[in-house]
Amino acid sequence: MAESPNGAAKFTVLVADDNEVAQRLCKRVLEKAGYGVLIAADGLQAVDIALAQKPSMILMDVAMPGIDGLEAMRRIKTEVPAMPIVIASAHSMASDRERFLAAGADNVLSKPFRLADLISIVEQLAHAGSM
Amino acid sequence: MGWPVATAGHISLRNGFLKPAEPRKVATTLWGLRTFHAARGGEAGESPGMGQGSASRTRILVRRATPFAAIAAIFAVQTLADPQPVLAFPLYLAVVLLVSLQQDIAESLAVAGAAAVAGLVAPLAAGDQTSDLATAIVLGAVLAGVALGTSTLSRRARARASEMHRRLDELADAEQQLRTTLESAGVGLALADLDGRFTQVNPALAAILGRGRDELTGMSAVEVTAEQDRPAVAGAVALIRRGDVARWEGQVTQQRPDGVAVPVALFMAKLPGSAGAPALLIQASDATDSRRADALRDCAAAVRGIIAASPGLEPAMPGLLAAFRENLGWHKGHYSSSRAEALTAGDELAARVWQAGLLAAEVDTGRSAVAFPVIDTGEVVGVIELSSPAMKRVADDEASMLSRAGVEIGQFIRRAETAQALRRSEADHRAIFERSPIGIARVGGDGELLEANPSLLQMLEHDADSMRTGAWPDMMRAYDQAAARLGKSTFLAGVTDGNSVQVRAATGAGTWLWMQMTATSIPDSTGRPEHVLVMVEDVTAVRETSDKLAEALEAQRAAIANLEKLDTTKSEFLSIVSHEFRTALTGIQGFSELIRDGGLEPDEVRAYGGYIFNDADRVNRLIGDMLDLDRMESGRMTMRAADVDINDILMEAIARASTATVTVEFKSDLDPRLPIVAGDRDRLIQVVSNLVNNAVKYSPEGGTVTLTSRVEGKYALISVTDTGIGIPPEEIGHVFERFRRVRSGAAQSIPGTGLGLTIVKQIVEMHGGRIWVESAVGHGSSFHFTMPLAPEGAAALQLRHG
Repeated sequence: MAESPNGAAKFTVLVADDNEVAQRLCKRVLEKAGYGVLIAADGLQAVDIALAQKPSMILMDVAMPGIDGLEAMRRIKTEVPAMPIVIASAHSMASDRERFLAAGADNVLSKPFRLADLISIVEQLAHAGSM
Repeated sequence: MGWPVATAGHISLRNGFLKPAEPRKVATTLWGLRTFHAARGGEAGESPGMGQGSASRTRILVRRATPFAAIAAIFAVQTLADPQPVLAFPLYLAVVLLVSLQQDIAESLAVAGAAAVAGLVAPLAAGDQTSDLATAIVLGAVLAGVALGTSTLSRRARARASEMHRRLDELADAEQQLRTTLESAGVGLALADLDGRFTQVNPALAAILGRGRDELTGMSAVEVTAEQDRPAVAGAVALIRRGDVARWEGQVTQQRPDGVAVPVALFMAKLPGSAGAPALLIQASDATDSRRADALRDCAAAVRGIIAASPGLEPAMPGLLAAFRENLGWHKGHYSSSRAEALTAGDELAARVWQAGLLAAEVDTGRSAVAFPVIDTGEVVGVIELSSPAMKRVADDEASMLSRAGVEIGQFIRRAETAQALRRSEADHRAIFERSPIGIARVGGDGELLEANPSLLQMLEHDADSMRTGAWPDMMRAYDQAAARLGKSTFLAGVTDGNSVQVRAATGAGTWLWMQMTATSIPDSTGRPEHVLVMVEDVTAVRETSDKLAEALEAQRAAIANLEKLDTTKSEFLSIVSHEFRTALTGIQGFSELIRDGGLEPDEVRAYGGYIFNDADRVNRLIGDMLDLDRMESGRMTMRAADVDINDILMEAIARASTATVTVEFKSDLDPRLPIVAGDRDRLIQVVSNLVNNAVKYSPEGGTVTLTSRVEGKYALISVTDTGIGIPPEEIGHVFERFRRVRSGAAQSIPGTGLGLTIVKQIVEMHGGRIWVESAVGHGSSFHFTMPLAPEGAAALQLRHG
């Protein structure tokens, strides 16, 4: 893991999304904000990386090939219950938000999103984790 | 002749009718009747000197001594005067004769002996000639003989006389007895002359006629008779007088001076009179009691007769009231059928009877009435009141007869009401059976038809016979089958409830009807099913309508299910579409924001602009596909028919794909003889490029995509084959459905609108072709579609021209 300028362990976000454009966008924005970024292209990858590299949090898409984001989240939470997971999905109806929270998501980010919202959600978790 | 005995023989005498003191008096007063006694034969006075116990012993002695004294006197005279013995003899003879006539033989002989001795004494004393002595002896013997003979004769004569006396006495006793009986007899007796005028009247008759005996003497039997019967009595008297009849009997009414009419049984007969003047015997007995008993009997019989013959109380009541009135001598009869009626009529007597439930009577000089309840099972249901303007008492027997009649009439009302109800019920049921629009069959326990009503016969177009022998057994079988199917009890197993089943039945005219049969068993008095009523309704119309309704309902249900599916599909579609749009927009929005915020390297800006362009393009395609599909499905798609070279289109597609893709090898196997077909070139290009793009997408690196064309009968057959991942069998039937790809996990990484294959299929089918897919997982897939070749085929294209 990369070290932050002040020496503390860098806050790392695993971005799990099958859409390359989304991957790139998140990576660009979060890195620019000073976070470490890991990328997973489907659910299984997300689970593997999450368990292997223990990111500070996960930004999880839902509609992915293989196992979907919710299943990946379930598996990860089974192993690491404290892992903060934010569902970032284009399923953006109100009922979807409830569904995701009920499935165990720590927060929900609807796509498309404003960049400030993405940063704000990650920052919240980063602050919570550092306190 | 003995007439009184004979007459009395058929008259019942009532005990205690006469007072005990009367017989003696009667015997003396009727003494005079002896004159008329025909059997008596004359006066029978008491003979003087014949009284046996009345003469004293002294007188007997004197009487017995007197002859001897006479003889002694004669002897003394003879001796003194010395006459000839012959001269004294007649004197002696006279004495002996007298004695022997009156006294018994011994006394006569004693007197004769004494006279003979006296006659002998003189010759003996004179010592005269023997001739004198002889003469004296002869004379003495004569005296003895005379005494003996005369005495015997006189004894016999006396014995006869004594016998006669005894008989006369007996006769007198019998008459005495008879008179006493007559005087004390309850039956009225009288003697009258041949004009019917009473000469002698006994007390009983006087009592019956309500007049004194003296008053009656001299009155005519006709006179005492009530007005209406007078001619009959007068006629009878005349008949007897003329000797046309010896006796006459009849029932007449006698009129008392106090106005009371007395019913009487009258008997008249002619008697030979003592002085040759015949008399009239009149016998009258008061028939009031016997007549009332008769009247009560007649009344009861009349009531029963009316009850038996009448259908109900109302028609019977006038007759009943008349029977009471006429038989019992009432003036008026009235029936109250309710207490209110009795009360409103101000009839206290009737109201009282209602209250008490018992017979009650009122007797007054001005008005008499009796009312009795009509009782049905212990309850007063009516009151009959009989009234008379005269004073009229109700005797006990009449009262009890009326009470009984009240009970009988009550029972009759009950019976009549029951019978009436039965008749009405029977009539109702008969009318229902005959007139009901519903077919009704009366069926025996074995299922045989006993009776079918007109509706049933008409409904099934059968006559009674063909119904019984043909149609009905068929219906019974159908019934049992239908009942068995429904799990209901079959007909022959015994119907107990209103089992209802529907069966098909053929009419006599050969048409088929749906019949609803509802069976109800009718129990006999023991509760055992006696027969079964089956109601039969023609439910053909209902049934057909309901069948149609059921079909319509089924169709409706399917339509609703379709609509629901459509709705679900639409919701899913919206959800998927919005997801697709938002995914595309994520890049567009995010990178646009980055560019807007500035501070990027030129390379970055270029790259981000590319992402934005691609996603925007994808959004555009998505919108285009959706609109196309919608237009195709709604039939609003416009296609332009033109000559199309399919091989040309295939080659162009390969060329385009090869430029964009370097990881897949393209091959083509095109049939050069493939003719030009008619079609919309742009749409056909869309079809081919869709299939090629798909093939590329699902093909791994180094895979091969092969395009072939050839003529297959009247069609051009075009195939796009890849060596990709293949389609699982459970998915292969759905590949042409909208957004199927998205829902299928395995291919989710492949970008696309999810509408491509659906659009392809629509376009192919609109050209009159067919599309299908063959696939094996891990080996790849082949999409085939056909296009019609013939001009007529082209004409058949479902292309729509502007």
